Amino acid sequence: MRARMASAFPERAVLIAVVENSGTTSQAESNDSIRMVAYPATAHGQAGWVLTASDYLGASQLALEHGAEATLVLGAEAVSLSTEALQGLAGTVLRGGADLAIPRYKTGPRDALVSSALLYPLTRALFGASIHLPLPLDAAFSARMAKRLAATARRPDNTTDSEPLLWPVSEAVIASFAVRETEAGKRTLPQPLDTDLNSLLTEVVGSLFSDIELKASFWQRARVAVPAKPAAEPDSSTGQAEGTVDVRYMVEGFRNAYTNLQEIWSLVLPPQSLLGLKKVSRVPAEDFEVPPDLWARTVYDFVLAYHLRTINRGHLLGALTPLYLAWVASHLRRSAGDDALAASHVEETAAAFVTEKPYIVARWRWPDRFNP
Amino acid sequence: MGQQIESALRQSMHRVLVVLVSFLPGVLVFLLAVILLTALGLLLAAMARRLLTAARFDERLAANETAGSPASFSDWSPSHSPTLLVSRAVLWVCILAGVAIGISAFDASYSTNSQLSQFLLPYLTHVLGAVLLLFFGGLLARFLSRTVLIGAVNAQLQYARFLSLGVKWLVLVLTAAMALDHLQIGGTIVELAFGILFGGIVLTLALAIGLGSRDLVSRSIEKNIDKPAARPMDPSTFPESSETPRPKLRHF
Repeated sequence: MRARMASAFPERAVLIAVVENSGTTSQAESNDSIRMVAYPATAHGQAGWVLTASDYLGASQLALEHGAEATLVLGAEAVSLSTEALQGLAGTVLRGGADLAIPRYKTGPRDALVSSALLYPLTRALFGASIHLPLPLDAAFSARMAKRLAATARRPDNTTDSEPLLWPVSEAVIASFAVRETEAGKRTLPQPLDTDLNSLLTEVVGSLFSDIELKASFWQRARVAVPAKPAAEPDSSTGQAEGTVDVRYMVEGFRNAYTNLQEIWSLVLPPQSLLGLKKVSRVPAEDFEVPPDLWARTVYDFVLAYHLRTINRGHLLGALTPLYLAWVASHLRRSAGDDALAASHVEETAAAFVTEKPYIVARWRWPDRFNP
Repeated sequence: MGQQIESALRQSMHRVLVVLVSFLPGVLVFLLAVILLTALGLLLAAMARRLLTAARFDERLAANETAGSPASFSDWSPSHSPTLLVSRAVLWVCILAGVAIGISAFDASYSTNSQLSQFLLPYLTHVLGAVLLLFFGGLLARFLSRTVLIGAVNAQLQYARFLSLGVKWLVLVLTAAMALDHLQIGGTIVELAFGILFGGIVLTLALAIGLGSRDLVSRSIEKNIDKPAARPMDPSTFPESSETPRPKLRHF
């Protein structure tokens, strides 16, 4: 990694900070242009599969301490990033004038599904930032963004029992900082150790919903969403080769949830959405599709229920899991293993969130108003 | 004869009036105590509500709650507002205090011989305890049934609703038995009925799960015999329909 950094930034003074117990280095080392320092691991330990608040805090503190012009935070498996990707990320901040650069990797139709279904559409619609991975694995940011991130990461977060997450994109947008997405090519995506989708979804989506709640005064103001950039080049290596996924299992799961969770969904969703879900549940698996506008309204209703604490938040996010899996089934059927189709479906979903934004704004302001 | 009847009637009327005259002040005192304490309760509840609203009690409490916490404070509250819950609790404490004071006053003014308050007051506390038991039991039943329902649905169990109903009724039956026991109603009949009902529900659930999971267990055993290294099923993977490896989903 050190050699990669040296080749990526040959004419710049680079300070590399590595976790003390990582085995890479035990004490400060120096070279012509590259300096290496060790910093203590955070109290929470490493979440690993995504950058957490403590990662941003540690990196920001080091950056401010050493007066760094730009900071590049690299997550787990960063060795799979190309030199061009590293240059692109840092260059976007150093030369492009951006305060925050988030990479966009080449992903297949079955990758980063939570981002495609929830994180990207919500970030794009509510914060006007067309960033496909708002919960990044790597990021580059300027000195003033480092200050902002350090301040945010110091705030106590009681929304989760585990390592608190931080949403750098919304932070940057709130502060009117420039946010850019850079193409970063292929990268090995580390997966969380906890394989329970329900708990992971509760953690990540709960954190995002809390962030949305916290920044309600910002996104309620009328804003024009940043137009989406053209989809990244499809990752052909994971495309058609693996064949079309059988979505029947997921569709059956959704039907089972529709039969059993009506009592809970009816507390959260208006009759129109329930009717829409009923129609979806009756569609055969071959034609199964969750319409993007229905999905957008459903997610917005869950955001609102999270804010209003209509039911216990753990229950609420648990009840969202089968709906999310229904969207995944719909996405897999629509994409049929084709990356371009998958990207098109993701953009269609995100566009529906933008279109339906007045719905969440109205319901947030007048939650008790009659809503058919 | 007529005079005797008239005298008897007068004496009866006199006794009734004497009883009424000695009874009415007691009732009046009881009503006064209840009304005064209710008014005081309303005042204190309004003050508590204003104070807590000014102190942003709901927001502070919400900020200290985690998504994974079991039943949050707001889940127990009317309209999901802890402030409203506290203010109503203040009001009801005052009303109950008014009733207790009223009964004591009634007892003191009505009859010096009867031990009405000595019997009623401890029983009133038992009634209050039973009401609280039922209230918290109901909340626990709802919370647990929803937890089981969502967990079972996400685990793709077909009998999720049945399981959730079973858990709900288990808790409700337990709560009802505890409340009746607390009120000392029914004696051994309640214990016996509770034992039969509780055991019946547990047996029904066990049979349902056992019979419902028969295929699942046999499939699992067959899989373990045929393919020792086979992966467990989870919602993010698909059933193997052919010999080709299943495409893996990456949710994150």
